[in-house]
Amino acid sequence: MFSPPLDIILLFAVTTPMVGWCTSKSRFKSFCGLYVIIGLSISAYALYSILHEALVSPVRIPVSIDYLRSSLKIDALGVFMAATIIAIGIFTAIYSLRFMAKDVGISLYYTLLMFMIAGMIGVVFANDFFTLFIFWELMSISSYILVAFRKHNPEPVEAGLKYLVMGAVGSASLLFGISLIYGLAGTLNFEALASALAGAKGSWLYLASLLVFIGFGIKAAIVPLHAWLPDAYSAAPSSISAILSAVVTETGIYALCRIFFAIFNPALVEWPIIFAILSVITMAFGNIVALLQMDLKRLLAYSSLGHIGYMLVGLAAGNQLGLTGTILHIFNHALMKGVAFLCVGAIIYRLGAGRLDEIAGVGRKMPITTVAFGISLFALTGMPPLNGFISELTLFMASVQAGMAWLGIAIVLNSALSAGYYLRVIRALIQPAKSKEIKNVKETPALMLIPICIMTIFILLFGIWPDPILEFARKAAAVLPYAT
Amino acid sequence: MIRLEYFIALAFALYFVGLYCLATKRNMIRLVLGIEILINAANLNFIAFSAYRAEGFVDPLAHSTVIISIAVAGCVSAAALALIVYAYKHYGTLDIRKLRQLRE
Repeated sequence: MFSPPLDIILLFAVTTPMVGWCTSKSRFKSFCGLYVIIGLSISAYALYSILHEALVSPVRIPVSIDYLRSSLKIDALGVFMAATIIAIGIFTAIYSLRFMAKDVGISLYYTLLMFMIAGMIGVVFANDFFTLFIFWELMSISSYILVAFRKHNPEPVEAGLKYLVMGAVGSASLLFGISLIYGLAGTLNFEALASALAGAKGSWLYLASLLVFIGFGIKAAIVPLHAWLPDAYSAAPSSISAILSAVVTETGIYALCRIFFAIFNPALVEWPIIFAILSVITMAFGNIVALLQMDLKRLLAYSSLGHIGYMLVGLAAGNQLGLTGTILHIFNHALMKGVAFLCVGAIIYRLGAGRLDEIAGVGRKMPITTVAFGISLFALTGMPPLNGFISELTLFMASVQAGMAWLGIAIVLNSALSAGYYLRVIRALIQPAKSKEIKNVKETPALMLIPICIMTIFILLFGIWPDPILEFARKAAAVLPYAT
Repeated sequence: MIRLEYFIALAFALYFVGLYCLATKRNMIRLVLGIEILINAANLNFIAFSAYRAEGFVDPLAHSTVIISIAVAGCVSAAALALIVYAYKHYGTLDIRKLRQLRE
């Protein structure tokens, strides 16, 4: 119905509550988690089997002679994003087996997780605004509930409500923008819109693109629209913070890439300079506010804002290299920030606290977690042998190539600024223990260490040998026709 | 026949009414109503555009979009009301400005 990878995830999402209900009496609590991991693995295999076909020419679903009737189009960019989403989904699900084991309603947690992943994959495969909007809402509504999953505490409910109100305004603006585009062009299909709006100009197009930008920008947390992000990330369960930060916000960036470089011609609508200004504001705001944070999850949330700013640099540059850099940074950031949030979650799981002054010295008791955390933080800074460096370098080169060298300098300065708080975290981890609670802390459980270690190995691997993923990102960026 | 411009003007007016409601109201239930008004502004726009595309022809694409969007808006409201119930249990008020646990 919606291409094999998406069908499998939706099927497993719908059946997970039944599995949870059937196994609710058994002693083995994590059966739902295993079921979800199996579903995601089958979906990953289905994605792999259409990979080569999609890289050569886009797969259209439903298959029809009239290509304007197909509502899904799986091209290189879609496959790249879907692979990232499924990978992060599998790692999060493995981590949740132990991390969420003590929570009630665990089968609903996995159901919502599956629906969120299905929504994201639908967004990256969508070939018209109608399909995109439905999957966008599927992703959004599941993420609102997941943020507020631990509803017996006041903070998650408050953060979820704030996220919901802002997210719903974003969705409504998106729908309003789509309605104006429909009024202008009379169709919602991306390819038909691209030919209908080619060379179009005028205030209605500006207004429509502004409303669509607000809709995606709220989800991507671009700075004037970011207010929900720090609260949602710090109040959500750590596994959900990881997937939100790694892929959900990046789906907004993906949508901006797709809409602004395949439908609106960005040069005609004069978006590059706006993207450039917003990217500088976003990265500077995120990095400066992160310096003041004491709570680890809040700190990482603000550092996500900084990285959203780096991704916008590629959109501002608007050339092939810039979009390659953006797409590559989406992947690299997913790995780096995923590891960072999962490690913070592991520390909170063992210690019950996540403030910088409370975790002092925990590194000596949890060596493997701390090494992984340290590597991910160095990668986030942009240190050379790690993967964050490769994508930040690509973005820097792209901004120079596009004649916006000041943007590249802003990236370098912000990386230096961000080292300030990342190094503070590492210092807190390795300094001698002060409090008594630290003495009794044990290493993270093996089930939670597995995803952390695999992702850390990927960080090292794609830092030392970035060629295959860089080539894949270049192919993905090549499907966007308006890149100069 | 009523001109298309009036419908678009009304849709924009509704959109700003919704934004005004979200910006000024303190009651959480009213915020949900504000979100509904915003989504209905977009729905009205779709219907108006579909009816005026060509003489004597109504585009079914816009209608199906609107029907799905109404259902989605219902889901959003349901999620919002569920969260509001829990917020009321924790804070004992419906005033959104009293929810200040997270501000440091």
